[in-house]
Amino acid sequence: MSMTSTASPAVTAPTETVTPPAAITPVVLSGKRRAPFIDFVLRFARNRAALVGLLLVVILIAVALAAPYYYPRDPLRIVGRPELWPFANPRFPLGTDSLGRDIAAVVAHGARTTLMIGLFASLTATIIGVSVGATAAYFGGWVDEVLMRVTELFQTVPNIIFILTVVAVLGQNITNITIAVGVVSWTAIARMTRAEFLSLRDREFVQACRAMGMGNIRIMLGEILPNALPPVIVLSSLVVASAVLFESSVSFLGLGDPNVASWGGLIGQGRTLIRSSWYICAVPGLAIMLTVLALNLVGDGLNDALNPKLRDR
Amino acid sequence: MRRILLRRFAQIIPLILGVIVLNFALIQMSPGSFLDVMTAEQQVSDPAMIERMRVLYGMDKPVVVQLLKYIWSVMTLDFGYSYRQNETVLAVIGQALPATVILMLASIAIALLIGVLAGVIAAVKVNTIWDNLISVGAVFFFAAPTFWLGIMLMIVFSVRLGWLPVGGMRDIGVDHGVFGDALDVMRHLALPALSLGLFYAAMYTRVMRASMLEVFRHDFVRTARAKGLSGAQVVLRHVFRNALLPVVTLLGLQLGTVLGGSVVIETVFSWPGIGSLMLDSVMSRNYPVVLGVLVLSSLIVAVANALVDIAYFRLDPRIRAR
Repeated sequence: MSMTSTASPAVTAPTETVTPPAAITPVVLSGKRRAPFIDFVLRFARNRAALVGLLLVVILIAVALAAPYYYPRDPLRIVGRPELWPFANPRFPLGTDSLGRDIAAVVAHGARTTLMIGLFASLTATIIGVSVGATAAYFGGWVDEVLMRVTELFQTVPNIIFILTVVAVLGQNITNITIAVGVVSWTAIARMTRAEFLSLRDREFVQACRAMGMGNIRIMLGEILPNALPPVIVLSSLVVASAVLFESSVSFLGLGDPNVASWGGLIGQGRTLIRSSWYICAVPGLAIMLTVLALNLVGDGLNDALNPKLRDR
Repeated sequence: MRRILLRRFAQIIPLILGVIVLNFALIQMSPGSFLDVMTAEQQVSDPAMIERMRVLYGMDKPVVVQLLKYIWSVMTLDFGYSYRQNETVLAVIGQALPATVILMLASIAIALLIGVLAGVIAAVKVNTIWDNLISVGAVFFFAAPTFWLGIMLMIVFSVRLGWLPVGGMRDIGVDHGVFGDALDVMRHLALPALSLGLFYAAMYTRVMRASMLEVFRHDFVRTARAKGLSGAQVVLRHVFRNALLPVVTLLGLQLGTVLGGSVVIETVFSWPGIGSLMLDSVMSRNYPVVLGVLVLSSLIVAVANALVDIAYFRLDPRIRAR
């Protein structure tokens, strides 16, 4: 297997498929060539905001992982007096909601829900988008035409309305929400993948692979895809952020999974109490905002690190 | 020109056919048949009656025949009947549409006004405290969920300060006269339009700033300066106009998401538009209305996109030359 890929420039960095291939790696400004991964880290770190975003994401992941240890019991169970303000009782640092549930527990467990849906929706979108974009560009002709029309179709359907319809018709549970969010989020990834594949499919290393008799699938997945990935990874990371927003909207509207703690759901249930206890809405909303903010900043940083040529645009 | 117009609008047809097929697929995938919901809603339990309804709705026919019949009925704008409102689905949606269009237009206007202005200021005063403040603000508003922002604005301006109404489109039971009515609607519109508009304003600020800075680097700007034009003249006449194009592109691409966003915001402020209708229909399992909204909103976006393309074609000579 490894011998057959000698024609690929990826061979210069066999362990690091994420790195741009030699053909499009720009000359590093200092003139010295560094290891690609270190180069990537340095570029990312140059963006201060991205570092802040990364820190926030790490905290979020830590909260999500720690939630079952700190709050081992069901976060949706009633534990105290309703509408207890934050800091009023040290047992409930973020207060309690309209039913007397611990907001801190709901927020901590909500982080798990949010991250899971965000990641899996983005994964779904990436798989669909890359498959569609790669197939369209690689085969061209009527395949391209049909697939691009389908992409346009999904760009036209208003996304939230589509998600609500799917959830309404197929049922309110986490799987359906995740898939629905993924299904409305893949179009940009498909277009990006298609553009990358179009620019790569006639390069010499691909022709060399063809001449060696490699199959289409193997060329697409093993040779072109690794080189097309950098901009796709950036888009996928941004899709995680938008998926978090979609999920919170759906839960806010009362169409989320009723058995799962969710930030949007907490806001939706708290909004009838904005006159007496506005913190019930404010706290989970801040959590959503910081999460989306962090993911966007990390996406920007990845863009700087992976697509150096685009950075100054 | 006319041929291009026709061709652009002809592209909408396969798109809408696709939406209809998507719709049909959703119905087919739903657990439990459509008929179950309808019989439950009308409290029909007699098997003979259910069988008669099956035949009436063509559900005894093969799937392909059902699909063709479905396409035909949607093509003739027959989306079925809503028992909840006791009217055709088309009429129900038609009544809700104007409120949503008003909200969308107001949000877009706010987004353009704030976004373009803030973007220009940030670009002209690049790397100053103003630029930093605007950029940080944009990052925050771009991350805030619109429904949450709406609730926060409502807490401040309606609940605490009491300046603006908490929801609805008009004061109930008060006759303001024609001008008074318009003013009344605007008072009710302010917060929902702002909540939705600020998200897009944040996006336009970033795009406008980046695109201004990009245009500043072009040679024709240097030429304009060399001719002796003042800084303001260069910015307004040369940079601004060219920098605006990406914002317009983005605006055209986002009509669908603005429509989706208004669905969420409408429910926050009880704005009586498509969004409130959609949520009500989802909650009451009123599938004909839900599916009708999906098809019609896609149609609206498709037509609007075509109009933006055509406007673009007329505005930008470079595209016309292609």
